[in-house]
Order: sequence, then structure tokens, then C-alpha cells
Amino acid sequence: MSEPGMSRLHWVLLLSSSLLCVVSVWNLDATTGLGAMGVARAQGIWLGVGLLSALVISSIEYHTLKRLAPGLYLGAVVSLGLVLVIGKTVNGSRRWLDFGAFTVQPSEPAKVALILALAAWLAQHPRPRGYTISDLVPIAIIMGIPMALIFKEPDLGHTLMIGFIGASMMSYERMRRKTVVGGLILGVISAPFVWLFVLKEYQKERILTLIDGNVDQLGAGWQSRQAEIAVGSGGVFGRGHGLGSQVAGGFLPENHTDFVFAKLCEEQGLLGGSLVLLLYLTLIMSILYTAYTARDRFGSLICLGVASFLFWHVLMNVGMVLNILPVTGVTLPFMSYGGSSVVTSCIGLGLVFNVHARRHVF
Amino acid sequence: MTYLDSGQSTHTLRLFRFGVLVLVAFIMLILRLGHLQVAQHQRLSEAASANYTKVERLFGNRGTIYDRKGRILATNRVGFDLYVTPSKVRDVNSLVSSLTPILELDQLGQLELREILMTSDRSERRVATRIVRDLPQDQVARIEEVGARFGGVSVEVKRQRTYPYGEIGAHLIGYLGRPTARELTSRTLAPDEMVGRFGAERLYDEVLRGEHGLRRFVVDARGRPQHEGWAQIASEKVSALQVPTPGRDIYLSVDIEAQTLAYQALDGYESGSVVLMDPRTGELIASVSKPSFDPNIWSGRLTAKAKREIDENPYHPMLDKSVKSYFPGSLYKVVTAIAAMEEGILDPEQPIESPGAYEYGNRIFHCHKRSGHGHVDLNGAMAASADVYFYKLGERMGIDTLAVYGGLFGFGERLLGINGESKGVVPTRAYHEEHSRGGFQHGLSLSSAIGQGAVRTSPLQMAVAFSALANHGVVYRPHLLLESSAVSSQLLEGPPTEGESQLIAERYVPQVIRRLPTASSNIQRVRRALERAVHDPKRATGYRAAPSYGRVAGKTGTAQVKTIVRGYRRLKEQRWEHRDHAWFAGFAPYESPKLSVVVFLEHGGSGGKDAAPVARKILERYQEDIDPIFDVGNGLELTANRRR
Repeated sequence: MSEPGMSRLHWVLLLSSSLLCVVSVWNLDATTGLGAMGVARAQGIWLGVGLLSALVISSIEYHTLKRLAPGLYLGAVVSLGLVLVIGKTVNGSRRWLDFGAFTVQPSEPAKVALILALAAWLAQHPRPRGYTISDLVPIAIIMGIPMALIFKEPDLGHTLMIGFIGASMMSYERMRRKTVVGGLILGVISAPFVWLFVLKEYQKERILTLIDGNVDQLGAGWQSRQAEIAVGSGGVFGRGHGLGSQVAGGFLPENHTDFVFAKLCEEQGLLGGSLVLLLYLTLIMSILYTAYTARDRFGSLICLGVASFLFWHVLMNVGMVLNILPVTGVTLPFMSYGGSSVVTSCIGLGLVFNVHARRHVF
Repeated sequence: MTYLDSGQSTHTLRLFRFGVLVLVAFIMLILRLGHLQVAQHQRLSEAASANYTKVERLFGNRGTIYDRKGRILATNRVGFDLYVTPSKVRDVNSLVSSLTPILELDQLGQLELREILMTSDRSERRVATRIVRDLPQDQVARIEEVGARFGGVSVEVKRQRTYPYGEIGAHLIGYLGRPTARELTSRTLAPDEMVGRFGAERLYDEVLRGEHGLRRFVVDARGRPQHEGWAQIASEKVSALQVPTPGRDIYLSVDIEAQTLAYQALDGYESGSVVLMDPRTGELIASVSKPSFDPNIWSGRLTAKAKREIDENPYHPMLDKSVKSYFPGSLYKVVTAIAAMEEGILDPEQPIESPGAYEYGNRIFHCHKRSGHGHVDLNGAMAASADVYFYKLGERMGIDTLAVYGGLFGFGERLLGINGESKGVVPTRAYHEEHSRGGFQHGLSLSSAIGQGAVRTSPLQMAVAFSALANHGVVYRPHLLLESSAVSSQLLEGPPTEGESQLIAERYVPQVIRRLPTASSNIQRVRRALERAVHDPKRATGYRAAPSYGRVAGKTGTAQVKTIVRGYRRLKEQRWEHRDHAWFAGFAPYESPKLSVVVFLEHGGSGGKDAAPVARKILERYQEDIDPIFDVGNGLELTANRRR
């Protein structure tokens, strides 16, 4: 049975993601720093690159992808290791590989590689009766290696992202009761250890700042505070394009990268902000729908992986901007300025288009 | 068909669950968004506005201080201050080594400069910090050249307070200094502002200061003023300009030439005070404290070296001795005399025996003259300063009664309220019970009667007391201010219009503390006795105070600081701190006094030998150069006072 070609395109997904891209470029126009015009234009170029990559990805037969998954995973791990050795250091962390004209942040595409690898593994090793603890060991290793490497950069945000993405994908599968209970106990026990020995000072500070804004007025607390002011002063209708004092006056740092949502909120108000959030919601839901209509577990898992990737990013970033989650340096997909983030998100979408297009093929 | 249809509904359920999680999370985010942008909108908009609003203080011109004849004592001129901005300095080491010879920095100065330039605090690095006030003009050009080479150095033009008379009258006029932490909080002051310290600058600081203005405008995160785009909209609500009000000028009662001659009269003595007062009004004509200091240095550039020199000066230039209290010695006898007459225990005409020593209790109280004075009446006792005469009065009166009259004259009270004025001590029985080892002993009534014991008075109090005798019984409050202008003269262009003239003067009216409730005849008797104390040809201890122009009434005083053991009396052998204080207090001309004089020489020796001649010098020069108080061409006979 074959379907008409038109239904191969996931319209809702296409529309919502396109709108998001347009908003992204428009929003970045007239930011301060990096030469205002240059940022919007650069983002546009990256979106173009991303679009191309998405097209390429969506045309690969995805069983080929299944075979490529281990190789891609290895590539990701190697580049993460490389970054620790020869990476460019910015603001105290080594996250970038410098290629002269542009820089690449390997922790971004690593997420896609992980999604593929994990989806492939789970697809190869089904456990209808539920996963046991010993089953989870290889999965923990698959997730653990990139997490550890990213954590060393240090980049707590992306480490958490990989963790959440993995956990979300795992939630798709049934697990033995013992596994669940054991996992919970492990989590509870390890939490204080993590706090005392694993987390760095500034990371702890960021969490504490959330609880009591007065803790670190001049460091991490400063950013959250300024972002909150930017968002709040936008009101319902916003201050107008390029007319917000927090961004235009330079009071909000990172206003084109991590805190770009604050810029949107200051300038476009509650209307603009909630519209964009609804766009993201639509986007994610449509990906989940693709997961539902996918033809096999592998496809479903890929979609769930991409959906969770976008979801957790949006949640952590917007939560940070709105000052209800600690500052973690996680980007907002499509909206934040940054080639690696944009291209990775586009590739993710390409995968979803891929799964959607082949949902009827046996 | 998807594989999900084939019964693996658990997966569907899980996807659904995830979808619900996503939905709930987004709802929370939108709710939070609404909370911030609606409920918190007001508060956060105000926070945004606080970020970009900068308020700049505008200072009004400080008023000028004039003396009673319109000579300028304190005014403003242009000064150069040196600022450094650490983040702009290209080469710290070279800058420090280039500035060191120009500014004459010592080791500590270089270290402090280095510390400022190397600070790691990011916000401090971008701020221009003042490191030197009031650069001499020749240094400005050299420093600007250094700044051009190494960056981060700027010279700012500032208003600088200047005192044309330097150390003359420094305690009375005062100087400007940086506010203390306490003053910063209790008054609305900028940390960069200067406040009056000492004298008139402090007493009339509010009048001189005027009122601040302010300018409010929009800045970006770096503090740079902004006008376009978002700033334009913001400016409409924020911009404000309040013009400052200049300070008012004040005219002091002081005559700076009298102040100068009084200061010069103290030549040869390291430490002391002179107070000249008009007994008709209580105006201070002069108030000298020696040694003095240069207020130009204290308001401008006080080097560590200069400060050290002042701190280490054993004669304490920073103390205003005119308002500090010391043993008055024989000067206090005027109180004893009045008290005794009022209490009815003294008949001023009756001779009383005053030998060289007097036995009381189990102690012997000595007179300054070993051989005593024989029988003397009040005039004789005052003229010769017979101690035993007054011991007896003190014994009969008791210390508490004496204290009452001391208080009437203004002793034991703070009168003017400047420069850490001391109240002094008018001891009572209760006072001694509380403060003296061994409590109150009756012998203290005797010592107090001659101004020893615990009695302490300041030269200013003495001037007020003797003025009260001069004007027949009015205790005036001493005052410094003659008038203040409503409009600063620096603001007027040309002579004042009629409307402005009406605003100009706010004249001070003499204030009476009290009229002495004593019989005027008694006052006159003391006055006469004081005249004899200078002009009695046989016995006057104060004869050296008599000027050649007329008659002076006054008293010498030699206040013992340390009990002298026989054999240690020779002045030259004594340590300075152990020497007696030398006093002279009086008024002239005797018939209708126009000037009261108090001379105090700290550890200066003898009232008659040391303080009295200083008073004479002052009176004669006052007559010649300032104001002829003695009516010379009237044919009044002048008593030529030359003894021995």
C-alpha cells in the first residue's frame, strides 16, 4: 500500500518549525553586541545549513541509520574527547573545536548521536517483560561515557540534557519493578554525594540562588535577576522591537544566546512570549504524534528522543529565564544564536521527518 | 498500520504520559510568564528603570566668610584634582614610577597608588578614583603628559576652598574635611562632598552650604548617557534637572587685623590663647589659639608628612585652647570677692590680715608671697593678689556657695559650642565626693577660692566673666556671627538692587544669658579693685599690663599645675609641663570699657611677668592700628605706671 506523496510531509511540524525559524531571525535582529545585523544574518545562514542537513537526513533510509548509529556514536565520543584535549576555552570551560571560520560545539551533535545509538540499542534488545538491572548496565555505559566527557568540560547543562533525554527514552520501555525501585534508591543515596563532591561551587551557587535570590547578587544571581526584570518589564504587549531597556541598554548579558527568550519577552510581551511557547508546544506534540504513528520501535524511539531533546531544552532554558529553574547554560533550540545548536536541532527535525515519511512502508 | 496497533498499548500509554508531562510543564511556564508580566509588571518595570536611571548631584557654590570689615577669610577658587581609572592604565609600573617624583610619593604613597591601580574588582577598575586633591599648577602639565603616555590619568577642575590668611584665625574660621561615616548617614551628603570642621565653617555649615541640585538622566549598562531609541522613551519619564541654590555669605564679628596682632603678641611663647571681646555686646573680636595650623593644607592636599608633623607637635596645634579649660588661679578671686560681698561676709573696706601662710585643719596653705601682705582691704588684696585674704573668704563661705556665683558668671557652662568646647569645672562638695580621691575635704573650699583645687575655666569663659564686670553685670552670650546674607554675593551681578538689599542682611542680635543678680555697688567695688590691680603704684601685680594710653582694669593669675617642692622653683630647671600657667584678664578703658582682653600662656610662667606684658602690647597696638578705644586727646590724666 502506498500513500500519496503529499502525506509524506509532516505539515504541522513543517509549519511550526518554519515559523519558529522566522521568529528566531526576526528576534535576533537589533540585538546588541556582535554587530547587530551580523547576528541575524549569521543565524539565517546557519538555519540554511541546518535546512540542508535536515533534507539530507530525511532522505536516508533509516535502517541505514540504524547501521550507522554505532559509528556516529563513536565519532561523537571521539570528538568529545578531542575537545577536552585541544578544545578552545571560553569563560573557563572547554567546549568548542575551532575550525577557523567557525567553531563547533561537539556536545550538541552528540545528543543526536546518542539518540540514534540508544534507539538502535533498545530496538536490538527488546525486553517485553521489562528491563532488569543487568540490562541497564550497557545502557548506562552508552549514556555515561558522553555524560562524563561533557561534565569534564565542564558543562553541567548538557550533561543533564543527555541524562534527561536518555531517561525520557527509557520511560518508553517497561522496566522490572526491582529496577525502578533500585534506581530510585540509587538516586536518593547518590544525591548528597553529588552535592558534596561532584558539583562545583558555582553550580551549587546557581541552585541556591534559585531558592534565595539574595545569595549571589553579583554572579549567577545577577543574570537571573536581570532576565526576570527584562521579562517582567515587557508587560502584556511588550516594549517594542529593539526598544527594551534591559537588552538595548546592555543590562542583560547573553541576550542573544542563553537569555534570548528574555529579549523576546521584553520586546513582545506576554503575547509574544506565550505565542512562541505555544509554537514549541505544537512542535513537540507533533513529534510525539509521529512517535505514535511510527512504523517500528526504532522510529518511535528516535522521535521520542528528539521530542525530549527539544522539550528539556525549552523547559530548562525558559525556566532559567523566568527564574524558576537554576541557571544551567542550556540553549533555546532555533531561537538561541549558535550554529551548533541550530544545525543539531534541524538534524533532529530531519530525523523526525524521516520517520514520518516512512511510517507506512513495510 | 503501525506496530503499535498490534496491541502494544503500553507504549501508547507511555507516549501519552510523556505528552501530558510536556503539556503540564508548558502550562506552568506560561503561568509563570503571566505572573511576571502581569502581576509583577509594575515592580519589575521599576527595577528596570532603576537600572538605567542615574542621578548626578549638582553642588551649589559655598558661601564666602568675611570678617567684620568685609575682608575675605574663606572663599572658593579653582583647584585641580588628580583621578586615575585603573582599567585604562596601560603600564602600571611605569605610571607609578613616573608619578612618584612629581607627586613626591613616599614608600607608603607608592604602595597605596599601586593597590588602587591593581584592584581586581571589576566595577572598581572602571571608575575614576581621586588620588590627590588640589594639585599645584606646575604639576598639572607634567602629570597630563604622564597620563598621555601611560593612560588612565585625568585632571579634573574642582572648586577649592581657600583661606587667604592661612593659619591666622584657623580655629575660628575652620576648614573643610571629608565627612565621617556617621555624618554620611545622618545627613544627606555625597561621599565626595566636604563638610565644615572647626569654627565658623562647621558652626554655620548649613548656611554656607546652600542646597544641592540634581540631574537625572538615562544611562546604559556601562553608565554612558543614552538618548536614542529606547532611551528616548525612557528619558521622557526620567529626565529631571534641579538647579542648586548657592550658599549664603556670612560676616563674622572677628576683626582679622586684631586677630593677627593678638597672634603675633604671643611670640616667644609656644602655646597659649588670647580672647578679645566687646563687653557691650558679647561679640568676639579675636580668638587666638597657638600654635595654629594652615587650613589651606587641611582643606586641600594634606601630605602624610604634614599630618605626622602636626600629630607629633607636643603643643597640639589642632586644639582650640580658647575653649579648653585650665586652672585659672588668681583670676577666680573676682568670683570669690563678689560672692563674699553678696553673702554679707565681706566688708570691702575692712582690712583683714593676710600673712604668708595660713593654718587650716592639719595643713598649711601658703600665699605666693612668703612674707605675706599684712592687713589689706579688698583693693589691696586684689592688687597684691593676697591669697590668705581669699582663703579666709572661702573658708567662711564654703565651696558650694562659691560654686553658685561661679555658675552665675558662666563658668562650668558651654557658651559658644565650637571646637570641642570644654564646660570647665566649678566644683561643689558633691563634685569632690564623686571625683576626688578622699572625697570632699574642707581645705578644698580654700583652694577653690583662689582658683586652684579642681576649678577649671577656659579663656573664653574668662572673657565673658570679665566682660560682665566691665559692663556692670550683663553676662552676654559670646558670638561669632555678625550677619549672613540672604543671597550669595557671588551670584549678584553688580551692586544689589533695592529688592535684593532688603533680603541681604540677617543681622545677629546680642543675646543675654543673664544679668548678675548682684548689687551693682558690689560689682563696682570689684571693678575698682581690678583697676587698682593694674594701677596701684605700690602693690599692683598687673602693672606691666598698663598701656600708655589709658587705664585698664584687670587681674594677673599664676596657676599652679604641680606642687612645687622647695628648691625646684627655678623656672629654667622645670619641665615645660610642670610650669605654672600664666593668665591676665581685664578690660579697657576702665571708665567705659570697649574691649575685654584675656591672655593665657600655657605653662607660660608668671601672670605678672609674662601674661601682663602681652596684654599691654595688644592694647597698645589695638589703639594704634585697629580702633582707638582710649580717648587720648581729652586731657585725662594718665597715670604713668613705672615701678622699680
